[in-house]
Amino acid sequence: MNALIDLISSGIVQTVLIGAALLGAISGMLGAFAVLRRQSLLGDALSHAALPGVCLGFLVAGGRDLGSVLAGAFATGALAALIMMLIVRRTTLKTDAALGIVLSVFFAVGIVLLTVIQTRGGAGSLGLMTFLFGQAAAILRADLWIMGGIGLAALVLVLAFWKEFKLVSFDADYARAQGFPVTLLEAGLTVMVALAIVVGLQLVGVVLMVALLIAPAAAARQWTNTLGTMVMLSAAIGATSGAAGALISATTRGLATGPVVVLIVTGAVLVSITVAPGRGLLWQALAARRARARISDGRVLTTLHSLAEAHDDAGYPAEQGMLQTALGAMPPAAQINALERRGLIRPVTHPPETTPHWELTEAGHAEAAAISGAPDRTQSPDGSQQEGKQ
Amino acid sequence: MRDDTLHEPGQALHVEDLTVTYGTKPALWDIDLDIPPGVMCAIVGPNGSGKSTLLKAALGLVRPVAGHVRFLGRPVGKMRGRIGYVPQRHSVDWDFPTTARDVVAMGLYRQIGWFRRPGADARARAMAALGEVGMQDYADRQISQLSGGQQQRVFIARALVQDAQILILDEPMAGVDAATEAIIIALLKRLRDEGRTVIVVHHDLTTVQSYFDWLVMLNVRIIAQGPVRKVYTPENLRAAYGRQLAMIAVPAEGNGL
Repeated sequence: MNALIDLISSGIVQTVLIGAALLGAISGMLGAFAVLRRQSLLGDALSHAALPGVCLGFLVAGGRDLGSVLAGAFATGALAALIMMLIVRRTTLKTDAALGIVLSVFFAVGIVLLTVIQTRGGAGSLGLMTFLFGQAAAILRADLWIMGGIGLAALVLVLAFWKEFKLVSFDADYARAQGFPVTLLEAGLTVMVALAIVVGLQLVGVVLMVALLIAPAAAARQWTNTLGTMVMLSAAIGATSGAAGALISATTRGLATGPVVVLIVTGAVLVSITVAPGRGLLWQALAARRARARISDGRVLTTLHSLAEAHDDAGYPAEQGMLQTALGAMPPAAQINALERRGLIRPVTHPPETTPHWELTEAGHAEAAAISGAPDRTQSPDGSQQEGKQ
Repeated sequence: MRDDTLHEPGQALHVEDLTVTYGTKPALWDIDLDIPPGVMCAIVGPNGSGKSTLLKAALGLVRPVAGHVRFLGRPVGKMRGRIGYVPQRHSVDWDFPTTARDVVAMGLYRQIGWFRRPGADARARAMAALGEVGMQDYADRQISQLSGGQQQRVFIARALVQDAQILILDEPMAGVDAATEAIIIALLKRLRDEGRTVIVVHHDLTTVQSYFDWLVMLNVRIIAQGPVRKVYTPENLRAAYGRQLAMIAVPAEGNGL
């Protein structure tokens, strides 16, 4: 416990924690819009395309100067986005193909530049490798101001244009027909995603940055059905995963931050996809099981009910063998017991037969009638009782 | 300067010399079209005849290579708030995290203006519009939990809420059941009777005569346009659809609306 407190009070770790949480919150917030606009992979292309920019910034500045590196990353990222847009508009290629082409070409150029710089050597050239997979410990206190500024700007923009971003994300054609400057709004969202990527580069790295955009949003979507909650939740998940990943990486020698963050945030997605109420897989499996049980119970009840009707005897005792034949197989004892407990059927004897028999209770008849949707004739031959519909 | 002068103000929709291409192939060729105010107009034509493209070009969603479009004499840019547009239902992701009432309120975003949030008034108007399409009980439903017909009615409510003079619907009857279709048609007829112009891309020839009073037949070019009883003829159907379909859908003599 003391070790943890020591750790958190250390200046470097504080910087890393705040930076990672900020970055996670920014990319979580903007990633929610990217995911809803089905542009998840745009972030992947943009972050890979940032690598040549990082190298160019390094070459121009002649060293690992953060300002020029980030400016370069933003420039090549924007260029990649522009080329993708042109490919989609001017050719018959679809978005996925354009993304794939641009991503791999830009990344290839980046790797070539990276190896060129490394063969030429130099003290700072090793630090460039951290941009591939990220290194939380490389974050400086001064970087926090850049991250905070970009985060604040993104937050203000999202709040100011909330309903416009919402409309464009849901139905861009309608927004355009209503006269909204859709291209400008979409470009705004894309530029903000690019900025989030640029600040996230040294933390998570170009290769895995996209996970911090997509995964928090994908996890958040499972828990809510309103956009506002989803965006906030996505930011919170991003911040938590980013901070946890950075903390682990900063305190363990030689552990790149990107992969750790990705593993943590993937865990959040996994949990959300499984257990989230309503949309989670477990939840749905449970609902499916309940539905199956209901249908199965219904078959037992309606079988007993139709036997009683056929014999014009509400208390007709159905023998085990008859149930088995009618249903194809004898219902499991647990199901019979449950139906007895719910007071829908009761075991009876029918001498001289020694086998088990069951009859429907009044509630059982009502339930069976409700299931089959027909009026309960066995219970109300004179029409004195209400229909058993619920 | 030209923008301020009205051009053909007597027509709800006036299209002149409109040509739209995708690549080099014309999707619409030299369209001249007039739809008078206060009619309920169907735009019909075979698949690929450019029906949706015509709507999109009229609304400025697709840029034409030639021609111009006017609504009540004005370019579409000056008529945005007065045109209600109902896109095809499949054009959006219905798993979007929002409610039916929220979607309807989107029809008011333009009126609400920049930097302001929809308030209680917007919510009340959205509820009223949902009520008009019989969906008030579903206001707080997540939109993916609605049936196809209900989703379509939510879309129509979004166009209604802005109280537009001209309504443009892209295949509103696609994939909805007969009961919903009847509700939608009754609603559209009522809107027409209130003096609004209703323009519908329609694909079911058998119902054209009973639903609509104005008809545009399209197959890249305009085949015919005018009142349904004058336009819905075997010759025109043959010209638009080719011989086979025309034989099925030939109108009975004297059965004109």
